[in-house]
Amino acid sequence: MDSHEICAATRARLAPQVRFQLDPVTRKSVLLYPEGILELNETAADILACCDGRTFAEIVEALGEQYDVDCRTLLSDVRQALADLRQRKLVELT
Amino acid sequence: MNAPRPYALLAELTYRCPLHCPYCSNPTHAPNARELTTDEWKRVIAGAAALGVLQIGFSGGEPLVRRDLAELIRNAREAGLYTNLITSGIGLNRDRVHALREAGLDSVQLSFQSDESDLADRIAGARAHREKLEASAHVRAAGIALSLNFVLHRQNIDRLPQMIALAEELGAQRVELANAQFYGWAFVNRAALLPTRQQIDRALQVAAEAKARLASRIDIFYVLPDYYQTQPKPCLNGWGQRYLTVNPVGDVLPCPTAAWAIPDLHFENVRTRPLEWIWRESESFNQFRGTDWMPEPCRSCPRREVDFGGCRCQAALLTGNAANTDPVCELSPDRARVEVVLREINSSSNGEPQWLYRTNPQPLSIQISN
Repeated sequence: MDSHEICAATRARLAPQVRFQLDPVTRKSVLLYPEGILELNETAADILACCDGRTFAEIVEALGEQYDVDCRTLLSDVRQALADLRQRKLVELT
Repeated sequence: MNAPRPYALLAELTYRCPLHCPYCSNPTHAPNARELTTDEWKRVIAGAAALGVLQIGFSGGEPLVRRDLAELIRNAREAGLYTNLITSGIGLNRDRVHALREAGLDSVQLSFQSDESDLADRIAGARAHREKLEASAHVRAAGIALSLNFVLHRQNIDRLPQMIALAEELGAQRVELANAQFYGWAFVNRAALLPTRQQIDRALQVAAEAKARLASRIDIFYVLPDYYQTQPKPCLNGWGQRYLTVNPVGDVLPCPTAAWAIPDLHFENVRTRPLEWIWRESESFNQFRGTDWMPEPCRSCPRREVDFGGCRCQAALLTGNAANTDPVCELSPDRARVEVVLREINSSSNGEPQWLYRTNPQPLSIQISN
């Protein structure tokens, strides 16, 4: 699924082999998966915290309450982040 | 010296294994000491987590021969580690898979010797292929991430397309197509294992095509035999930088093959020293850390922090000195030692050398001369 195929009803979940947790050393969020560790910036971590089966619309709404950015920027950033995570097989979009 | 933070621990639980693969990187003479106990392993896991380790690979030998495997996986999960099992699949029946899943196992890397049983079983020196197929189905059914690991060498590399097809058929999420690296038994059997240049060229093409075709479904990693490269591999991302290995008897190693390949370096043991001290302070971990140890041509090389001078074990094995530049590097004064091997392999007079099957550790092992 490319970024332009993500619509309001698209649901996002962590891929089954992926764990999302706090790194006790850095206190930052990380994704752990076979042979891999991805350190997340704050925005990516907030997006991933919403990837629990929620729809794209619900994720954007939740983040809109946390971030003081205009709606267009938020939509585009979240869409791009989800598409990237999907391409790395870290998130499943259905 | 300031020690960086390790990210991954390879826990080699045992050298025992029901397979006898001639490319095994385990030592040809296993240390004659008893394996770590369950409690000793739990202390290792706690120590690794305290150092910052986030990933643990349970390996061997065959880790399933340890009855305490599920207990150790549970312990590692409780310490916040992502748990990987690196296995031949022998003994991985439905009940065992469920017990490991219950304990919190995240991922299984299952080895295959080929795509079909006659060749696979001949390479393994055991009837194993059919059981591996069953094991893969149990892993998938339990919802555990499945990687397939194929070690490629002269006897199986021509079947690469079929091996990739098997990975597709079994629903693997990740496939490692790694040419044998020449340490341990593989070093002893190099003449029978190193592919010809023609085989390597063909395999590279097959792997690249499969990687592109399957990009959305399977992550494919193809690893060349480094003898055919002109720049060395960035072994371990640098000595003592991100990885540590604890072997079955508790020696702590910067890399799994170091104790065998570099016998003149003294490695510390978790039975006598705390893991943190070993990682930060020990001579073995600091010997090749950073760039200060480097000789020329590494010392002034712009790639010194890209490939870290290559592999210390390979330098020791091929030049007799672990502190030399990896002789795979085209700038190494010892590159000729690699060229001699390649000429031999690619000459028509090479014939069909026999390999030695790996044998399980015995109290008295047979001397094998190289």
